[in-house]
Amino acid sequence: MSSIYVNSKDVFLDIVNAKDYIQLDRVSTIYQALKDSIKKPLKMILLYGRPGTGKSMFLNKLHQDLSASQEVYLYKTPILDESEFFKTLAQDIFNAKYSGELNFTQFMKIVKATQGKEIPVVLLDEAQLYSEALMEKIRLLSDTRTVKFVITLHKTEKEDIIAKEHFQTRIWETIELENASSAELKIYIQKKLMKANCFDSANMFTNKAVNRIHKLTQGNYRDTNKLLYTLFELYSEYENTHRLSSIKTDQISNKIIEMSAIHTGLINA
Amino acid sequence: MLNIIELERRWFRYKIKSYIPHTIIILSIITISLVMLSFLSNDKTVQFTKVAIPEEPSIGIDNNKPEIQKPIIHNHLPIIVEPTVEKKQEKKIVVIEPNIIIKPTNTRSRVQLSPSLDFMRKMQNSMQPYYSHENTNVQRAYAPQVEVVKQEQQRVYDAQQTDVENISDIEEVVPVAKKISIKRQNTQNDIFEIIKRFKKNNNPALSLFVAKKYYELGNYQQAYNYALLTNGINEDIESSWIIFSKSLVKLGKKKKAITVLRKYIKQSHSSGAKILLDEIRSGKFR
Repeated sequence: MSSIYVNSKDVFLDIVNAKDYIQLDRVSTIYQALKDSIKKPLKMILLYGRPGTGKSMFLNKLHQDLSASQEVYLYKTPILDESEFFKTLAQDIFNAKYSGELNFTQFMKIVKATQGKEIPVVLLDEAQLYSEALMEKIRLLSDTRTVKFVITLHKTEKEDIIAKEHFQTRIWETIELENASSAELKIYIQKKLMKANCFDSANMFTNKAVNRIHKLTQGNYRDTNKLLYTLFELYSEYENTHRLSSIKTDQISNKIIEMSAIHTGLINA
Repeated sequence: MLNIIELERRWFRYKIKSYIPHTIIILSIITISLVMLSFLSNDKTVQFTKVAIPEEPSIGIDNNKPEIQKPIIHNHLPIIVEPTVEKKQEKKIVVIEPNIIIKPTNTRSRVQLSPSLDFMRKMQNSMQPYYSHENTNVQRAYAPQVEVVKQEQQRVYDAQQTDVENISDIEEVVPVAKKISIKRQNTQNDIFEIIKRFKKNNNPALSLFVAKKYYELGNYQQAYNYALLTNGINEDIESSWIIFSKSLVKLGKKKKAITVLRKYIKQSHSSGAKILLDEIRSGKFR
C-alpha cells in the first residue's frame, strides 16, 4: 500500500546520494566557494563540521559535478592500510597496477614518472580515520602538487589538533559546515518532500512544527532525516490501524513529533 | 513496524514528566499569591481597626472595676468616678470621692467613656454649665443607660507629679448623650473628706494634697504635719518636701527649713528644692 505518508517516509531515508542534494542559500554559497577553491592552485582543502552537517553529501555532489569536467576520485570509506591506499591511488589515478606491496617511495616514483598530466582531485571522506603517519604522507604527496586533495573531517577537539599540526602551515582552504537554522530546516524539509512530489506532506510542516523539530535535532540534517522518517512511519501506522482521526493530519502533530523523538532517542523518556 | 501503543504510553509518561515543573511553578505562584492576599487582607483589617479605635484614651467603667484613663479636670475641683478610679500610665493615683453615682440600668458589665478635648475650649467659657459629647468612633455600650450625677466633689492626684496644681474639679463628665451636672463646691469639707480617705488607705498623695490645701488656706501647722506624714510614707516626693520646708519657713523655722532642704537636695538633687533653698536664703521667700 502506498500512501502519502509512505512516500514521504522514503524521502527521509538516510542515504548519501548526490541526487538528493538540497540547495539552500547558505549551503550553495559554501558549495560554490569549494568549487572555486578547487580551481585555485591549492594543495589541500579541508572540509569539516559536526557529524550530520552534510559533509559526505557535499563530497558526493562535488564528485558528481566535477567528474564531467575534470579527473576526480571519491573515496567514501577510508583505506586504512597504507600499501592498499597507495595501490588504489596508483591504479585509479595513474592506471598502474601493483600486485605486491606499494610503499610511499615507490608510489612517489610513479607520480614523478607521470608528471605533466592534468592534476587529479582526490576526495577523501572521513579522513579523521586515517593514521597520522598516512596523513603526513598525504600531506607530502599534496606538496608535490601532482595530486590535489579534498578531505573531510569531523569537527572534534582531536581533529582540530590534526588540522593544526599537519595542515595549518600549508596553503589551505578550510570550509566549515554547520547545522541548519530553523528557517533553513523548513526549506530543506519542504524542498526534499516536493522533490519527491509529496506536496501535501510538505504543506503539513508549519513553522511551529519545524521549530519543534529544530529544537529536538538542533538543525542536524542526519537527525532530522531520522526523526522525519520515523514521523511518517508513525503516520502510516496510524493510517494502517485506522486511527488517523485521533491525530492531526492537516499539520504535523506535536504528539507525533515527540513520539518520533522518543523512538529515535532524541527525547529520553 | 512500530509499536504505537507502547510509544504512546512512553509519550504520555514524558508529557506528565514535562508538565510536573510547570505544575509546580503554577502551584507555587498560586500559593504565594494566596499567602500575599491573606497578608494584605490582614493588613487591611488591622488598618480598619486602627481607624475604628481613636487614639485618645477612653474612660472605661466596669461595675466591678471602673476605670478612668484621662479624667476631665476643671477648676481645682476633684475628679469624679465611683467606686474606684484608676489612671493608666502616668496617673497612678486617683482620689475618689463618692461624688458620682453611676447607676447602670442594664445588665452589661462595661462602660466606655471617651474623653473629649473640647473641654479645653469650654473651660475658657466657664458660663457653659455642661456639655455633651458624642464620639462616633468609640462604641459606648453603657452610655445610654448610665446616669452620672455629681453630688460631691472628687479629687484626683497625679502621683507621679504629685502636684496639687493638677488636681482640679470636674464640672461635668458626660458619656455620650447623657448629661452630667457637676456642682462646684470649695469648702473645707473637701479636706475632711480627703483626710477621711487618707486614714483609710494611708495614701501619701492624699496626705500631700491635704498639706497643700492647708498651706493654701494658711494653716501652716497642719500643712507641716501632713507634709511630715507624707514624707514618712514616701520620702521621694519632691513637692512634699517643698511644702514641708515652706511650712517651716512660714512657721518661723527658717534654719530648720534650710537644713531640711540641704539634706534633701544632697539626697535627691532636686532642682525645685534648690530653687526654693535659694529663694529662702535670698529672702525672696518668707
